Amino acid sequence: MSRADKIREAFAESHGAHWHPTDAYSRAVWLGAGLVVAGMFLHQVELVLFGVPLVLSVLLTHKPKGTPTVSVRPVPRGAGAGVVHTVAHVDGADAEIAVIKVPGGPRAVPAHSPDLPVKIRRDAWGPGVDLRLDHLFAGPDGMHVYGPIVGTEHVRTILPPVEHHPSGPLPPRPAGLVGIHRSPRAGDSTELRDIRAFQPGDRLKRIDWRVTTRTGTVHVRERHAEADAEIVLAIDTRTDVGADVADWSSPHYGATARPDGSLDRAVRRAASMAAGYLRQGDRVALMDLSRPQLNVRPGVGRRHLMRIRTQLVVCVQAAGWASRVALRKLPHGSVVVLLSPFLDDEIAELAVQTRKHGHLVLAINTLPLPLKPDRETPWGEVAAEMIAAEHRLRLRRMTQHGVAVTREC
Amino acid sequence: MLMRLAIVLAALPVALILHLESETIAPLVVVAALTAVSALMPGSAGPALLIGYAAVAMAFGDGHPLRLGVLLMIPALHLIHVTSALAAVVPVKTRIEVAALKAPARRFAIVQAISFLVAAFAAFVPSGPHIGFVELLGLGSLTVVIAVVALRI
Repeated sequence: MSRADKIREAFAESHGAHWHPTDAYSRAVWLGAGLVVAGMFLHQVELVLFGVPLVLSVLLTHKPKGTPTVSVRPVPRGAGAGVVHTVAHVDGADAEIAVIKVPGGPRAVPAHSPDLPVKIRRDAWGPGVDLRLDHLFAGPDGMHVYGPIVGTEHVRTILPPVEHHPSGPLPPRPAGLVGIHRSPRAGDSTELRDIRAFQPGDRLKRIDWRVTTRTGTVHVRERHAEADAEIVLAIDTRTDVGADVADWSSPHYGATARPDGSLDRAVRRAASMAAGYLRQGDRVALMDLSRPQLNVRPGVGRRHLMRIRTQLVVCVQAAGWASRVALRKLPHGSVVVLLSPFLDDEIAELAVQTRKHGHLVLAINTLPLPLKPDRETPWGEVAAEMIAAEHRLRLRRMTQHGVAVTREC
Repeated sequence: MLMRLAIVLAALPVALILHLESETIAPLVVVAALTAVSALMPGSAGPALLIGYAAVAMAFGDGHPLRLGVLLMIPALHLIHVTSALAAVVPVKTRIEVAALKAPARRFAIVQAISFLVAAFAAFVPSGPHIGFVELLGLGSLTVVIAVVALRI
């Protein structure tokens, strides 16, 4: 064994998952024995009397055995944000005191105490660690310790919350059978969609002879497709900004997305809209504008809503700047809901182009307004006003090209 | 924080006794410094130095070997040892349940009872230069104790 291995082994023996003596043990042995011996040789009974308690404290204690453990009753995974309660079971073996790092601060309890109640706070949606009970067990008088042990991480993923929006003016229909919104595509159903002039490729059996004889030109009857509308929720995950412009360049710690920032708003709105449309029986798809590999294909039902909410978390985890945005493989005639802070021209251009391709585009602005300028720089107010003005201009341009824009999220 | 406060409280009588037995302020300053080190770093050599310094200072001070100061110092030094040992394994902001301290308190009481029995025994042992038999007995007992401890190690 090399010298480095010996040093490493000695270092490892001073901590970790086994019983090992502490400084207090060495103090009691060497100082206690030293005082007693010195007292005898120097004929000083005081030294003997001061050393006796230390020697006795060693004699009256013993090196603990066994493997103490701390286990946690599993926390419900599907629970949303809020406070969750569970219990930690402490099996102290030969230990006397258990020191456990629970949420709210470490606690020292008897090693054979009943189950320890643990309160877990879940403040934000997204992935995170619910609980990690780091612990240490101490033997009698803290002369031997077991640990410190890094506890097992209990991870969880809280899905974005769903806010139930009131229903629209349309009458309620049986959910799950057929969507409330009809697909804008032409098809072979019995419902009339339009009567238009004959085009090359149209079938002769669709000619409406009555209109043709009245107008003098050949007209055909167009029918609706036997399909529900397809809603595409397109989310822009390239930027996550809040109302305070000064914080835009600094990262946010402690949550997946900046609380009440543009990404947080986008995800919450997307989850709520997906729930609303799916409840009405429509087919909903999810698209990440900068990472098409994370897209979710159109689907219906409650399980699809769970899929979309889970994928929203994945999208936010992978969020980051991308040079290009694209809406690929858009279903023909779909309704595109674009959730973005619209901080660059490329996203506005994408909305306009999508509209020009015949899709109904609803642009939801997720930028928190009004913007708070950076007070630490004299140009902060001007910069914030410039950003806001460009933003207004972008939204106006989209409106002029037929994109429905909501200015507040 | 509670255990570190207990170290300071246990060191208070030590400082007071040493100050009363000394004509200078030096012991008070030394004990205060070592107490601060012990409270801030209970896992360091601070508690050992504090106990050792107080023991040596009392042993070589004037007065009867079993005077009141010595008798008060015996539980105080032991308390410094116990509280330092516990403070070294408990993080600073730990909430300590009183039940967790019940066993150490019981053991402290037992150790002190035995220590005072030893003190009472010492009061009856004849003193003077011709006590070879007592020394031999004491060293023999200590050898047994060390052997027991060494075997456990």
